[in-house]
Amino acid sequence: MEQILANGVYLGSQYAMIALGLTLIFALMNVLNFAHGQMYVLGGFVTYTFYGQLGLPFVVALLISCVTLAILGALIEKFLFAPVIKRSARDESTMLLAAGIAFLLDAIILLVFGEKQRGVPKIVNGVFNWDFRLIMPYDRILICVLAILSIVGFIAFMQYSKTGRALRALAQDRVAAQLMGVNVDRYSMIGFALGAMLAGLVGGLLVTITGINLGMGGPTSIKAFMMVMIGGAGVISGAIAGGIILGFLEAIGLAVLSQYGDITYLLIFISLMIFLAIRPQGLMGKPWG
Amino acid sequence: MSEMLNFKNVELFYDHVYALKGVSMHLSQGETVALIGSNGAGKSSILRAITGLAKIKSGSIEFMGQRLDGRTASDIVGMGIAMVPEGRRVFPFMSVRDNLMMGAFTRSDKKGIADTLDSVLERFPRLKERYSQAAGTLSGGEQQMMVIGRALMAKPKLLLLDEPSLGIAPKLVQDIARSIVAINRDEGVSVLLVEQNSRMALSISHRAYALTTGSVVIEGNSKELLHDDRIKAAYLGGEIEGAA
Repeated sequence: MEQILANGVYLGSQYAMIALGLTLIFALMNVLNFAHGQMYVLGGFVTYTFYGQLGLPFVVALLISCVTLAILGALIEKFLFAPVIKRSARDESTMLLAAGIAFLLDAIILLVFGEKQRGVPKIVNGVFNWDFRLIMPYDRILICVLAILSIVGFIAFMQYSKTGRALRALAQDRVAAQLMGVNVDRYSMIGFALGAMLAGLVGGLLVTITGINLGMGGPTSIKAFMMVMIGGAGVISGAIAGGIILGFLEAIGLAVLSQYGDITYLLIFISLMIFLAIRPQGLMGKPWG
Repeated sequence: MSEMLNFKNVELFYDHVYALKGVSMHLSQGETVALIGSNGAGKSSILRAITGLAKIKSGSIEFMGQRLDGRTASDIVGMGIAMVPEGRRVFPFMSVRDNLMMGAFTRSDKKGIADTLDSVLERFPRLKERYSQAAGTLSGGEQQMMVIGRALMAKPKLLLLDEPSLGIAPKLVQDIARSIVAINRDEGVSVLLVEQNSRMALSISHRAYALTTGSVVIEGNSKELLHDDRIKAAYLGGEIEGAA
């Protein structure tokens, strides 16, 4: 039991961060960022390069991951999404663009980093063992703590900083935000950069545990969309709830259902469909609050 | 009195349909000017043109000697023009406090913002009671007070009000009318008021322009217009004599 709880918190905290980035971009720009998983993978590879290959301190590599993805996100918004949104009122246009960016990033990652699974040296050694009731390697605990701290930091930023307040305002009423003097173009770019940065941050954190490979992008995007659907699109609390719920479902599934074969995600998908049929807006479906 | 806002022959259209057909008007420092007229007369288009939400086709708009047309909405707020939009447009999931603070977005003087916040809360004590509540849970009248307060947070020189009485309980309409008069008088803020409730608009403004399908048809002193037969027939709904 303790083990399942701990695994749930660990997975949930990572997932919540991925979902937060996705839901931020959705709330601000009404864009479904299908490339979110690829951004996560890229973040992992950047940390792999700077920490695993070049031997820089882990924290520095992690920061480089964040900055790289933030810049990439800003460029993608400014030169791809913003012009498309200006010219086309149809949502499909940005969806296709996002899908295209996902393929593009996949190709770039393949060219630059190759198709192999990559891992990095452990950031801390040793295993926490509480009477064999709860076993967890120290590096997982550390990553989990870092993830939770990042989530708290992100929420505090959105809640209390002037920029965060402007982003929330923009998500809730674009025209009113403009009338307050918010530069919509600039803040859309900042929001997209932040969302991409969160994806890169999780990638950099998780590369130390699971390693990283090219194929992880698509499945990560799908999980991110599931979490956002569970919690309700465009809401901070929804993304966190969705992340934690999916994390726990996966942890419980791995512990309880593994003897029946690999059916955890089959059951999760079926339950999600039933859930969405009953409550299509998700648990906390409303615009960004 | 120096002229603060100047419209010269402004034309604006949406999808090739005229919204403004060469409108000229002006507003002096310290004045309250009302724009009256029915739906689609172009009142809101004037406000949209000032705030940069709509691009004008020809003509010019000047504010304190500077051209406004061609600037972005966010620049224009910084120049001292704040708008209370039609339908209030609160940020529904943000607290009253955060809504008010959004009004001060273009300012960076912490001390000054805190002072303005105090004065807004003093003017609208109801907002103090609802301070941490989500704005979407407020009543229509409270929301209207909040968005007026939000606009004041920018410390504007010119306040634009788009249909502030729309969807508000009649008793509160009077309260809101009184606050508009008080804001204009106490803080020296010039006011441009767009209203379908012509009687209210004329009774709290100095001058007024009456619009029909994108053109100014009558302009003059508000007190006189209240008793003008053309205005009575077209805008005050032909009510019983003396009810004004």
